[in-house]
Amino acid sequence: MTELVRPELVCPAGTPAALKSAVEAGADCVYVGFRDETNARNFPGLNFSRKELEEGIALAHDHGAKVLVAINTFPRAGRPDLWHQAVADSARLKADAVILADIGLLAHAAHHHPDLRLHLSVQAAASNPDSIRFYAERFGVKRVVLPRVLTVQEIATVNAAIAPVETEVFVFGGLCVMAEGRCALSSYATGQSPNMNGVCSPASHVRYEERAGGITSQLAGFTINKFGEGEPAGYPTLCKGRFIANGKTSYLFEEPTSLNTLAMLPELIKAGITAFKIEGRQRGRAYVAAVVQAFRQGVDAVMAGRPMPDIDLDRITEGGRQTTGAYERTWR
Amino acid sequence: MMASDMMEGQYRPGAKPMTPPFSPVLLLGLALKPLRPALLQPLFDAMLRVVRRQHPDILERLEAYGDRVVCIDPIDLPFAILLEPNPAEPRLTVRRFVDADEVHATIRGPLETLIALAEGKVDGDALFFSRQLVIEGDTEVVVALRNAIDGAGIDLIADLTSALGPFANPARRLADAALEAAHSVRSGIETLRQSLIAPAVQGAASRDARIAELEAEVKALRKASRRGHA
Repeated sequence: MTELVRPELVCPAGTPAALKSAVEAGADCVYVGFRDETNARNFPGLNFSRKELEEGIALAHDHGAKVLVAINTFPRAGRPDLWHQAVADSARLKADAVILADIGLLAHAAHHHPDLRLHLSVQAAASNPDSIRFYAERFGVKRVVLPRVLTVQEIATVNAAIAPVETEVFVFGGLCVMAEGRCALSSYATGQSPNMNGVCSPASHVRYEERAGGITSQLAGFTINKFGEGEPAGYPTLCKGRFIANGKTSYLFEEPTSLNTLAMLPELIKAGITAFKIEGRQRGRAYVAAVVQAFRQGVDAVMAGRPMPDIDLDRITEGGRQTTGAYERTWR
Repeated sequence: MMASDMMEGQYRPGAKPMTPPFSPVLLLGLALKPLRPALLQPLFDAMLRVVRRQHPDILERLEAYGDRVVCIDPIDLPFAILLEPNPAEPRLTVRRFVDADEVHATIRGPLETLIALAEGKVDGDALFFSRQLVIEGDTEVVVALRNAIDGAGIDLIADLTSALGPFANPARRLADAALEAAHSVRSGIETLRQSLIAPAVQGAASRDARIAELEAEVKALRKASRRGHA
């Protein structure tokens, strides 16, 4: 029987307080971003200054945890300085790795910071061995964050083909149903996208109206959903909007729901995945603490051969619903 | 401007008011109703001073939104609080009436929920998903405020009592005792609430049972009718 390898728990932090919560809750790694458009969670009031990152890295290292810096948007043509500076500062501040998506930025980092560990962001959408080998051979990428489109069996097959390159997969949080890094829905409505500006459906373009009968969410003037009295709400993204097609109102792309693989941890660990990633740098520290604790207990239980703990995370899921996403492919 | 053009606490023309939960805060709110909000202003001035001193990073994170006014509306209290996060001269103003046009955004919810949110004990997105929190107006400044406050690691009792210097420890013990008493009152109020709504709950349960019976009957009749037509 193959010996199980303990996966790292990679946890989100949008602020220093969230980083502290993640580390105290048992995170092996915390991933963060700078307070600008170099990362895919460039939200108002979120993220780290250089000083905060320095302090955060010191705190994490004191607890034996690593800090990964996401610089995973695509630099604007002819103006890569902000992204180059983010990579240089991450190296200077002794971040344990940077998470990049853009080929040009990967080339820059590999050339100018050869000692800096490179992870490939999910935004690069590398989902097959040929693609992953390209990034590993050309830029020395050590780990790939896989897009949320593969089954557990497919991940195991990819793992066997790309070793020693490591894989990291999402185990909890928001889902993107589109090809990661290539979605243009937000750009279409607002002119801003997670790929270039680090914001999907930016808050500056979102309006909620609470009226008798429910709440209406609007994005850049488009009404994209209406939630009835007491109906759980979701993020105001176009992919989770409710539209009328052929006379029927429904969620055309995806319902508001959160990925939750807690019950699947034994299978995911057997698939030889190096790291489990929790989505949600935009969420509060209460979310970070609750999810990290749950997955810490789950991973520890599997590794110790104990039964999986039954932990209810319903209260923090989007739309009050959970899914195992592509890992099981039970949806239509 | 006439008071009728303004909203008192949560009330605003066209908007559906949230129903506050039956809680000690609601009773406190009723008791505070005759009080002029101006009498509470020194308390909020002191709170702002403490937060500025203990958590300067909040205003730093809100720097880009210094000119926006956010109305924080605890639905169980008879007043709302206006926050102006101008880093040079931030203001926290208690008001009985708020003109909808003078605020850029409103955050509305029960006081205890708003405090739990400020202290990072609950997740803002989760509160929004479950409809326990209502936000209106400029979503960007609300998100920025939520992130800034969550990131500061606020502990209201610890922050406020620490400002009392040598009296910090006794004040902390006093606050803990008050919280314990409030917990006990809450438990009593919950019993009272259960007792008050018990007849209604019982009535609803028997109506539910009757509806289920009728539904089964209708289903059986439809089935029989289909067989008759076949």
